[in-house]
Amino acid sequence: MKRYGMSIDVDRCNGCGACMVACAVENNIPPAHQGANDRKGITWIRVYRVDNGEDFPDRRSAFVPVLCQQCGEHTPCASVCPQQAVDVDPATGIVGQMPERCLGCRYCMAACPYHARYFNWWDPAWPAGMEKTLNPDVALRMRGVVEKCNFCHGRWHAAKQRAAAAGKKDIDPADYVPACVDACPTGAIRFGDLNDSATAVAEDARKPESFRLLEKLHTDPKIYYRSKKDWVKEIASAPRPGARKESLRG
Amino acid sequence: MTTTRRDLLRFAGGAAFGAFLTPAPWRLITDTALWSENWPGIPRPARGEIRTKFTHCSLCPAGCAVRARCVGQQPVALAGVFGGLCPFGVTAHHLPYHPARLRQGPVKEAAAAVAAAIAKCGPRERVAVLDLRPGRTASWTYRRAMAGVRNGTYIAPAQPPVSVNLANARTVLSLGAPLLDGWCSPANAFAARDRFRLIQAEPVESRTASLADTWLPIRTGSEQALALSLAGALDTRDAAERTGLAERQIVDLARELKENGPALVIDCRMSQNVVALNVDLGSWGRTIVPRPEAPVPAAWKTAAPPAELAAVPDGSIRVLLIDESAPGEYLPWNEIQKKLVSGNPLVVAFACSREGYGQHAQFVLPAAAFPEVTDDLPAAVDAVAPGFRLATPLIPAPDGLVNPVDFVAGVAGLAAPDALRQRADAIHASGKGKLVTYADGKSAAVKEVKADEFWKALNAGACWTGDAAQPGRAPGRDFSPAAEAAVPALTAVAAELAIADSPLMSKVYQESNLRLGPDRVAMHPRSARECGVEDGAKATLETSAGQRRVEVMIDSGICPGVVLVAARPGFEPGQAKVVRI
Repeated sequence: MKRYGMSIDVDRCNGCGACMVACAVENNIPPAHQGANDRKGITWIRVYRVDNGEDFPDRRSAFVPVLCQQCGEHTPCASVCPQQAVDVDPATGIVGQMPERCLGCRYCMAACPYHARYFNWWDPAWPAGMEKTLNPDVALRMRGVVEKCNFCHGRWHAAKQRAAAAGKKDIDPADYVPACVDACPTGAIRFGDLNDSATAVAEDARKPESFRLLEKLHTDPKIYYRSKKDWVKEIASAPRPGARKESLRG
Repeated sequence: MTTTRRDLLRFAGGAAFGAFLTPAPWRLITDTALWSENWPGIPRPARGEIRTKFTHCSLCPAGCAVRARCVGQQPVALAGVFGGLCPFGVTAHHLPYHPARLRQGPVKEAAAAVAAAIAKCGPRERVAVLDLRPGRTASWTYRRAMAGVRNGTYIAPAQPPVSVNLANARTVLSLGAPLLDGWCSPANAFAARDRFRLIQAEPVESRTASLADTWLPIRTGSEQALALSLAGALDTRDAAERTGLAERQIVDLARELKENGPALVIDCRMSQNVVALNVDLGSWGRTIVPRPEAPVPAAWKTAAPPAELAAVPDGSIRVLLIDESAPGEYLPWNEIQKKLVSGNPLVVAFACSREGYGQHAQFVLPAAAFPEVTDDLPAAVDAVAPGFRLATPLIPAPDGLVNPVDFVAGVAGLAAPDALRQRADAIHASGKGKLVTYADGKSAAVKEVKADEFWKALNAGACWTGDAAQPGRAPGRDFSPAAEAAVPALTAVAAELAIADSPLMSKVYQESNLRLGPDRVAMHPRSARECGVEDGAKATLETSAGQRRVEVMIDSGICPGVVLVAARPGFEPGQAKVVRI
């Protein structure tokens, strides 16, 4: 049994946004509609800029990429979906979304504590000719359904097919890497099987500076962040509003 | 037994209720969803054989190696060969479909107008080519063409005189250069990042500053004063006053650069003072080396020399041809305009869109965009050895586009067919260096490869790397004094926007505030209060580039007195005024 997860080195992320656009390219997410903004846009992975709340010249910022945290237990979105459009694959641990089952009620969006789910407010549209660049491995989603990161499931299927063609039972770990990991120029994002203690991502998860978002909710996320800055870790645990002066935008 | 109307109603009601206990309605919901997912308005991805092609990104001088995943002949995803790519590189295959993309232009009319203007040129008037990315084979063709035209001038932005070797550095001081955000090849910068300590000195907490080990928030325009002070050519107290740093900080910084060497000091253009400071720190041959260039055919050496814009007399250019198809450092239009003749100058721009110099040109001729283009890439600022890499087309260019090299060569009557092949042959004939093929990751000495195979491999996305040159004698320790300009109450500093980028970049500009989007400015809360604006306020921004409507964002990581402006390349920092609407 695999348990795919990710580790993100916040101290290495420069907030360039390559992961955001690489994700959009891979998963056929259309460019922003004219009326889209930070609430209505679709970014399966979104880089938030957070800061220590101090004023110039003591202000320090960090960039935190936030995607579906792939909760392991009591997955909030799966438990509220009336359509069983969300499921956790026991073979990989990936929380999948089936847009063709989705009714668009957005219960899952309300339930997700990480704001990592996005609703299609508009029909997907690309500038003339650009639809030629769509990825044939990923189906398009229509207006009125919710979507989210699925660790580039299209790539997982392709890797499975390649492994089957080669007569192998398991996929080659190097053969299955999500688009954001592939694109990150700083090498801040790593991906692998958390159940295999020899993988880099499992090693990262064990590091003392490693943390997960909102651990107090016990959703057992499979995204591990790392930072040596205490104020970054404090933001990740979302202290009581007003307890500190943190601010974030993204 | 008779069937009454009541029985019929009971049956219908029972059937309707019973239907809800069958899978039929749920199946109907799913099917409806599937049908609506495939309605005619939803595009369908093309299917075909999956292939991998290799090329080099020509969007910036870093020239990263690119692996393209293609369906048939169409690229559908780009990735880096030696690590990731920047967001512009990742989405570069969308550029040909940008709504602002130029596809047609008045080519014949422009050619006739250029010929007529050249014929009218006075004895002191010039025909000039402005090349934003010098050092390419195309640049050599422009220089050769200008050598054949009376008063022909080849103008290019000043290039860094040296290359930097990040792999050797233990301490790097960056004076406002975005080292970790596009100044050099991201793969090189991040491969070396863990081995050096980075100190970033600039007035805004940029992406590089946020990842630096130390950020020194200095005043706008005081980078040169800090460099001079570190070299001992400016009094520390004076430098502290100009930069806003404490004297102690400057003394500690100077000591760290000396004690924790090899040190490297960089700024955006590797200016004379910065090179001299590096020489002073003993970095010559270790972290900075002379800039290498790949061999060129001997016959090309008679080409016109590059001239900087400042060296061209004011009011002297009658015809200006601007190659904007290979973006590089943009010169401010105000400076260019001074060099044009006062009466009816002719400006022709070769570009993919009208967003750049096209706004000021009489003719904008459509040029090929990456990945339709065939071009080579000069050595990047972080390349210590000469290299030759081709940006080969992944898709064919549409009809109606103009090749600026052919146009300029035609103007000068220069026959320059296959200049790239000629240069590749000259490199092959030198017998030096090695050929690295990305498809199999193997390298071979050039001596072992035939000329035709060499050319074929380059077109398939291989790269030639020459031998690193001996550093030779270090340049003299010449410092030029830093101009002490009056600091305005509010200074505009540019956060650069690309001239053309993928529509998907709206993810970082519009659907998140990760990058400062067009028509937005960011200010410190104190500066905003002084201007009478608050977060999200609509305002007008007045700079030397004119007046425009903007949205204000508050950011306490920006030095008070500075307004960060999302601007196209070529924007000059200077006095600004923000007025609430």
